[in-house]
Amino acid sequence: MFAKNWFYSITLISIMGLAPASRAGDAGQKPRSDDAASRPVVTTTVGYSVPDVQLVRDDGKQVSLPAEMNDGRAVVLNFIFTTCSSFCPLSSQTFREFQQELGPDRERVHLMSISIDPEQDTPARLRDYAHKFAAGPGWQHYTGTLAASLAAQRAFGAYRGDKMSHTPLTLMRAAGAKTWRRIDGFATPSELLSECRQLLAVQ
Amino acid sequence: MLLVALFAAQASAQEVADPVGEAIYRRGILPSGQPITAKREPDLQISGGDAACSNCHRRSGLGELEGHIRIPPVTGAALFRPRVHDGNVGAPPNSDAAYSRRDAYSKEALARAIREGVAVDGSQLNYLMPHYSLADADMASLIGYLKGLTRFKSPGVNAGVLHLATIVTPDADPVKRRAMLDVLDHYFADTNAAALAGGLHSRSPQGAMSMPNYRWQLHIWELTGPASAWDQQLRTHLEHEPVLAVISGVGGKTWAPIHRFCEQAGLPCLFPNVDLPVVAEHDFYSLYFSRGVLLEADLIAHAITGDKRLPAAHRVVQIYRRDDIGQQAANALRGGVAGVDLVDRPLRTGNGKQQLAAALRDIGSRDVVVLWLRPQDLALLAALPSVHSRVFISGLMGGLDQSPVPAASRGVAVMVYAFDLPDHRVIQTDYPLGWFRINHIPVIDQRVQTDTWLACVLLSETLSHMSDSFVRDYLVERLEGMLDHQMLTGYYPRLSLAPNQRFASKGGYLVKFAEPSGSRLVAESEWIVP
Ligand code: HEC
Repeated sequence: MFAKNWFYSITLISIMGLAPASRAGDAGQKPRSDDAASRPVVTTTVGYSVPDVQLVRDDGKQVSLPAEMNDGRAVVLNFIFTTCSSFCPLSSQTFREFQQELGPDRERVHLMSISIDPEQDTPARLRDYAHKFAAGPGWQHYTGTLAASLAAQRAFGAYRGDKMSHTPLTLMRAAGAKTWRRIDGFATPSELLSECRQLLAVQ
Repeated sequence: MLLVALFAAQASAQEVADPVGEAIYRRGILPSGQPITAKREPDLQISGGDAACSNCHRRSGLGELEGHIRIPPVTGAALFRPRVHDGNVGAPPNSDAAYSRRDAYSKEALARAIREGVAVDGSQLNYLMPHYSLADADMASLIGYLKGLTRFKSPGVNAGVLHLATIVTPDADPVKRRAMLDVLDHYFADTNAAALAGGLHSRSPQGAMSMPNYRWQLHIWELTGPASAWDQQLRTHLEHEPVLAVISGVGGKTWAPIHRFCEQAGLPCLFPNVDLPVVAEHDFYSLYFSRGVLLEADLIAHAITGDKRLPAAHRVVQIYRRDDIGQQAANALRGGVAGVDLVDRPLRTGNGKQQLAAALRDIGSRDVVVLWLRPQDLALLAALPSVHSRVFISGLMGGLDQSPVPAASRGVAVMVYAFDLPDHRVIQTDYPLGWFRINHIPVIDQRVQTDTWLACVLLSETLSHMSDSFVRDYLVERLEGMLDHQMLTGYYPRLSLAPNQRFASKGGYLVKFAEPSGSRLVAESEWIVP
């Protein structure tokens, strides 16, 4: 079980203004070892409109982003690139555990990972990556033109100037809903599960 | 004397790096051959290469900034440095001015950080840092390795001088060689004039820092004899003329011995002018602008198999010279069009026209012809009956915009063009062209000269972000990190690298000549990333 205070919710604040994850202990602060300091997670509720762009799915098929998101399932979305060695692997591992923990609800949730380095991340490279993280059938990876990837990143407030400046982010939405839950930071699989169950309950 | 002693110290410091610690740090492998294991709470396990420290702290150990998470340096100098309250916060991690706002780690505290994610001050380290299970002996090896990690400045940096080499193979095209050397000479002179005038000011994200006045000194390593003899020559050069990195360079039929040498010597080899690079994206030290003719082969394969509107190719006939790089390109294309009937028709030395006529004798309208040929051979097409099938021409081998494709073939001949279109890149290429003009550099091979200039610009820009942390591994890591937001990109629409990405530009166009004569090109495709 996770404690609720690890995972506080605020609505519609400006995420960009948040200070980076600074360690306690500097300048005479009392050392803290609680989870919130080492793993800050901020959840907000935000309305996004899904841009009408074409992406290429990991099976090589050209698909429309809105169509992929409106197939009757809830959507859980993140942005990755396959040669990112620091925190994309953690985000993808979290997705895998989350997908497994969903159990029978797996059928009702579409996990989507969009590449922010689409020229490098060909469908074949995405398939290898998905295989490495044992992605189940309800989890697809997407690439496409650079312009399409940028449009998707911008639409979800995920664009940070270039791929080296990306930050950990998960977005989720009930089937057909207008508003998204935006989770900035490293959420654990059980945190994602708890958020997602709430969405499925209203769905 | 002092210098000699210093180099000896550097050399031995590199040799004594604990091999057990290194295997844990770089590859996540224990001396038993077993993978290391680590976890993050509550129970996300990672192991082996996925858990290697270098994934985050990088090979140099100098860390990086990932989004807004700072991955700190873990070199001995950084970890065991005592607290400095008013340290310069903006200074790069390996410089003497770098800050440390916490107390020095002891070995015990360090083991605790690595096992439990607890910093020396007792606070919890960021969640991204995994918690490792390591036996005491392995931990001791790892800590020993960290202690010695990136302790010295790299060779080739001394007394206000940065030594840099460029490499010329004996089979390099003499025009390209002269084109490159001319640009390097002038660029180095320019840099040194600026250094004399009071130094550059870096535009680092932390704000302006003054750059020490380093002069750049160029060492030209001209190789001789067969490729098998180059490795020994390179060793001798490096021993007598220690350099920080190899900048640009120009090759002919093979670059592999140089690529291998740089990898073994731990020597950055930055953006050489080679059309057949070595594709080994898990190697570290060699960076290239593109995969050259291998990228062209993929673009052709994509065009042959990818365009559903065209009738399926009956047969693909590839023509190349056995002693040229077209042979390797043809092999790459063969691998990319599985299932297609593919015929190789290599030309031997001797009468090119007769051989070319023979190779094209039975081409039907549903065949596809691929010409991996140089301008001399392409020019022979003018005297042959025209071919009525799809023809692909290697732009790199055939001379790009200046390729002598005869008027009669211009309707069917598609050139692979792994650069931005001439119309799109005018603003980009105006910079180097203006600079060539000011410096009275005759433009004899615009692409080679622009690529050479761009390599220098990228190096200069990267060095300016390093203050005086001139360390070979860090140089490569910084280049990887800065390329994405680089404004000057020369012939390429954009450049991008990352760990395990060694080719900065990834795609190309298919083009045709617009008119029966002249060099104007029109795009036949969008930008394709095969
Ligand atoms: C997935 C990324 C990742 C990997 C892999 C990783 N680290 Fe770290 N490490 C970090 C981050 C991020 C921090 C900074 C945490 C903070 O500032 O709170 C850190 C901090 C540290 C620190 C504390 C430094 C200081 O200044 O207090 C040490 C020591 C360290 N790591 C050593 C290692 C070693 C040794 C390994 C391999 C066995 C390793 N790390 C693997 C991400 C990683």
